[in-house]
Amino acid sequence: MTTEAVPAVSTRTVSVWDGRLTVNVRVAGTGAPLVFLHSPIGLVWDQLLSRFADHYTVYAPEFPGTSVDDPYMGHVIDTVPDLVLAYQEVIEALGVRTPVLVGHSFGGMLAAELAAAFPSLPAKVVLLAPLGLWSDAAPVTNLAAAAADQVPGLLFHDPTCAAAQMLLTPPDDPAAAVAGAVAMVWALGCTGKFIWPLPDRGLRGRLHRIIAPTLVVWGRQDAIAPVSYADEFTSAIGGARAAVIDDCGHLPQMECFDQAEQSISDFLG
Amino acid sequence: MKITLFEQAAYRYFADDFEQHHESVCTVPYSLVDRARVYDSMRDFLDELMAGARAGFDGLTVTEHGQSSYDLMPNPDVVAGALAYATEQENLPTAIYPMGRSLGKSREPVRVAEEYAMLDVISGGRLVAGFPVGLGYDAGINNGVPPLEIRPRFDENLELVLRAWHDRDPFAWNGRFHQYPIVNIWPRPQQDQPPVWITGIGNPNTMRMTLKRGFGFNYFGFAGAKLTGKRIFDRFWDQADQVGVPRNPYRLGFLQTVAVADTDAEAERIYGKHIEYTFRKGLGAIPQERLAVPGGIDIRGVRALLTDPADFGFYYQMRTGTFAQLAEAGVVVAGSAATVREQLIEYCRQYGIGNLHVMLGFGSLPKELALRNIELFADEVAPHLRDLWQGTEFEHHWWPERLGGAGPAALPGGQNGHVTTKEAVLS
Repeated sequence: MTTEAVPAVSTRTVSVWDGRLTVNVRVAGTGAPLVFLHSPIGLVWDQLLSRFADHYTVYAPEFPGTSVDDPYMGHVIDTVPDLVLAYQEVIEALGVRTPVLVGHSFGGMLAAELAAAFPSLPAKVVLLAPLGLWSDAAPVTNLAAAAADQVPGLLFHDPTCAAAQMLLTPPDDPAAAVAGAVAMVWALGCTGKFIWPLPDRGLRGRLHRIIAPTLVVWGRQDAIAPVSYADEFTSAIGGARAAVIDDCGHLPQMECFDQAEQSISDFLG
Repeated sequence: MKITLFEQAAYRYFADDFEQHHESVCTVPYSLVDRARVYDSMRDFLDELMAGARAGFDGLTVTEHGQSSYDLMPNPDVVAGALAYATEQENLPTAIYPMGRSLGKSREPVRVAEEYAMLDVISGGRLVAGFPVGLGYDAGINNGVPPLEIRPRFDENLELVLRAWHDRDPFAWNGRFHQYPIVNIWPRPQQDQPPVWITGIGNPNTMRMTLKRGFGFNYFGFAGAKLTGKRIFDRFWDQADQVGVPRNPYRLGFLQTVAVADTDAEAERIYGKHIEYTFRKGLGAIPQERLAVPGGIDIRGVRALLTDPADFGFYYQMRTGTFAQLAEAGVVVAGSAATVREQLIEYCRQYGIGNLHVMLGFGSLPKELALRNIELFADEVAPHLRDLWQGTEFEHHWWPERLGGAGPAALPGGQNGHVTTKEAVLS
């Protein structure tokens, strides 16, 4: 993993849902629009987002409730259909047209839902280890219900890798460590409304509506959503293809940045 | 002072090393039990509660825990129904007190209203109605409720239950979580309104809600009252002052595990290993992630617990706790009758407790020892506690009138205590 300069990231706040929902959106870079929807642990500005910002204007909304200034926004939206409509409003409020839509984990499920509900909204879709499907033969692990000491091994194939250390090592300052833990717990709680106890709200029946070119990226050793779901997504979405990365867990863009980035940039062109 | 006998229906026959291999909830394998011993555990539990009723306890208290090996109690109303009829038949004036049906868990709130109404009818008006929000694992894992919804479901379900009890006319319920075209339950409760008690773990908002609404508040001292009692009870009475209601001890309940013997040494000798069984294989074997499910505790509560975990008391050491440590933390009050009553009187006086729920059968404790504990407590401890608040200006408004309760409390602002819907309180 190489370190790169983090671009200047600004915050835009948009008001949607008839004024009842305020969403903070992190914005960086210039170029065509790219919307990134984060995982259940909250928005982490990682290397992939920085790389995207070299070529795109990146818009990364913080999921309602996960912004430090208003945790109770997590109580505004109750259902996946409303959530999808609210996110469409967020994208419209940003003035963004036909963005590349990228989502990771829970954010991948949300990106797929958006692309299914509004087939002409995205130019292209990239789903990184998306949740949203359930097969009894391949149970999805509920990260929010896991013991704290299990979390590194659930997120990463190699919990000792540099990316894992960077993401999961608490800061030295005790107050900052508490704040970080609180933020992660609350992010899991807010997103959990839509994926707890099982991350299946009927997406399988809607995937056929996605018409945008779609890439599915999966780590072969994903311990949360088994890699067998990659085939399920690609067979349900017309023309979708999958990039499966060896020796990689649920966070392919962090644990295996080079391979994930290569696959994505090949796809996006 | 009201004193109830509290028990949980633990499976009593696990191997010594159970907690080293299993959690006590959710995934605990049923293959570990012998079915005849499940029957024995349940039968002895019921026999002990009935013995308590005959010994003069003011109430019989039980809790709800699904998929749990330390409390075989997916629905406490089943047991409460058996107790309601048996005590009615024997003419025993004891409260039937599930502590009770978890409203953050329940997906059938009208069923909860109906079951409690049934219990009140069967018992001839002796129901005390407990409503806990619900433990994270029970609501979130066992019943699949997204943790962020547990509290909002509790709030909605409580309104629905209260309205189902007291509205004369059928009504439609269009809630966020539940819709019913006609709510018109049969039977309704015998009492105008059964006393309502809410169980909390220390969230000041829950305390405040009970005070504003005229409900009782129960606190369970499982985490060790010597560590948590002062924090929790000071917080409660501070909230009472802020809300502007009198510090009436009868609005506060406290649950304590107690083991009485002839001497302190004998208490340790005969109860020690059973106390260790109870807490190592019960609460101590519930992993933290089962109790604190993300979203189940408000973000301010998460911050408070991570900054200062002291509200959880001895919980973190419980899985390996020794009798001496458990006694030191106050998880159990054990000793001679004199020792026990001195400690309990101190708690009740210091913290303003007017309802004491004593757990006298626990874990692997054999029935004959549980019965002895019950008898010793009833004969040598309870009489010294019962009159603690006699002669004060306070009346017990949170107890069935048939059992000596004084009727509903006045609410802050002097409203009639029968009016308990949120709208009425806020208007």
